[in-house]
Amino acid sequence: MKVDTAAAVVEPMRQSSVWKRFKKQRSLHYFVWIGLLFLLVFSYTPMFGILMAFKNYTITQGIKGIFTSEWVGFKYFVEFYNDYKFGIIIRNTLVLSILKVIFTFPVPILLAVMLSEVKNMAFRRVVQTASYLPHFISWVVVLGLAFTFLSANAGLLNRLLLGLGWIDEPIPFLTSPNYFWGLAVGTAMWKEAGWWAIIFLAAIAGINPTLYEAAQMDGAGRLARIWHITLPGIRGTVVVVLILTVGSILGGGLVGSNFDQAFLMGNAGNNDTSEIVQTYAFKVGLAQGRYSYAAAIDLVQSLISVILIFTSNFVAKKVSGTSLF
Amino acid sequence: MKRSLEDRIFDGVNVCLLAIIFFATAYPFYYLLVISFNSGTDVLLGGAYFWPTEFTLENYKTFFGDSKWMSALFMSVLRTGVGVVTGVLFTCLVAYGLSHQDLVFRGFYFSVVIFAMYFSGGLIPYYVVLRSLGLLNTFWVFIIPALLNTFFLLIAISFFREIPPDLKESALIDGAGELQIYFKIILPVSKPLLATMALFTGVGHWNSWLDAAYFVRDEYLRTLSYRLIEIINQSRVSLSAEAAIAGASSVTSYSLQVTAMIVSIAPIIAVYPFLQKYFVAGMMLGSVKE
Repeated sequence: MKVDTAAAVVEPMRQSSVWKRFKKQRSLHYFVWIGLLFLLVFSYTPMFGILMAFKNYTITQGIKGIFTSEWVGFKYFVEFYNDYKFGIIIRNTLVLSILKVIFTFPVPILLAVMLSEVKNMAFRRVVQTASYLPHFISWVVVLGLAFTFLSANAGLLNRLLLGLGWIDEPIPFLTSPNYFWGLAVGTAMWKEAGWWAIIFLAAIAGINPTLYEAAQMDGAGRLARIWHITLPGIRGTVVVVLILTVGSILGGGLVGSNFDQAFLMGNAGNNDTSEIVQTYAFKVGLAQGRYSYAAAIDLVQSLISVILIFTSNFVAKKVSGTSLF
Repeated sequence: MKRSLEDRIFDGVNVCLLAIIFFATAYPFYYLLVISFNSGTDVLLGGAYFWPTEFTLENYKTFFGDSKWMSALFMSVLRTGVGVVTGVLFTCLVAYGLSHQDLVFRGFYFSVVIFAMYFSGGLIPYYVVLRSLGLLNTFWVFIIPALLNTFFLLIAISFFREIPPDLKESALIDGAGELQIYFKIILPVSKPLLATMALFTGVGHWNSWLDAAYFVRDEYLRTLSYRLIEIINQSRVSLSAEAAIAGASSVTSYSLQVTAMIVSIAPIIAVYPFLQKYFVAGMMLGSVKE
């Protein structure tokens, strides 16, 4: 309705030429142009910056150097392929991403179903309120919490296990390569499960309650009702979230925190499992100043991601008829 | 209606599991609070799990008395304050322009925005741009690159579209310019939108760590996030049980780290009720974005 009134107001303007209309809206265009200028500088220039992956770029050349530096073709991609860390980094990126999706995707759904089955609203509200608080806490604080609970010298868990006599010496959760993947999956789940449960709770709230009543009449128990009504009822939402997850899988899926985790919780001790493409590119670029090489490494990941987005969208469209674009 | 056996078992198990989940989310925060009010050297002996075994305010006194931490806290507050005001006003101004349905080139403008939302050049070229602009190692590296948030831009556009056009028409007849209309009419009627954007932008600035750690070098530009990373990495190497911080004998680098964590969580808890009020809508839009 509001659109209708707006259309009526602009009607007289339509008759004048585009130029006249433009002149009349001039200041509005200025507002938009400031925004576009911002995007040009901070979004589009970096996109052109990808060119440096194919060039011999040095930082002293500034932005202009992106275009003027000498072409070297796929030199840096070949170099990455031959890097002694190539295999490890690709493995870590893939394993971490896949593990995180496998574990962090179903948990919010489960949590949402569990919460929706609680009849005591006060209890439900308390649990739910606490569950998404960690979403708003920074990864730096999560790193601090990981230290507080899991470190070998001060960690509460290690103290508890030692005190109970279950272990003889502290488990190096934070510094051993054996634990990094578990640590990353665990903290991602702890931080984001409650937040992503919100979207599924909203979907569950949209299910027609008469369906439950009818099922109860037919003698369906609680689990049967969840299985036959709740889960099918949120199928559309689940598929959309799944597409988003698969598309962003290399960034960490819907919890999207591979870089933060690998960077903050990665250290010399667990480097064998914690170094991923993004952190390696960052270190090569900023610490060693090898910008072209770093950009090439980054680009490999972006390309895989784009392919994954389109593939998952295509598959979802074929399988369930739901898609993003 | 009588509850069946399955019903009772289900509810029992469900409530127990949720209680465990609640404990797993809430206890870590509570434990930090306990440690921060406990004598640092005493913590290392163990025992302070649910209540301070040796209550003290020393940790907070040391924290708030340390110029390094105070400077970091000040910088975090400053970047959050300036970042919120400039970011919200800038994003809304662009959104106000784009919210006009009859805008010439509207389609083109939108495709520029949407494309920028989905694709990025990655961190390395982005860093090169910041460096070339001379933003590195200045306060403005926290503010300027965060001026426009494309996600909130789209939310603001749809919000502004709902504002009745006659509100603006009368002002136009009175001869007001668009900038005047933006500040005097549009913003005052958009308070719920501004509140939402301010809260989420603020949390983003407050929690931001990568720019604080890698885009600035001067000591006075160090934020709370940076100092936290620093002290956590220190504690990782040594808890400095013996080497308690000079002046306050019971304070260890670990108890100070936990106190700093509490200080960086506290503002989030303080605005949490307000965040909650708005974020279901934000969540829905957020999922469309990602």
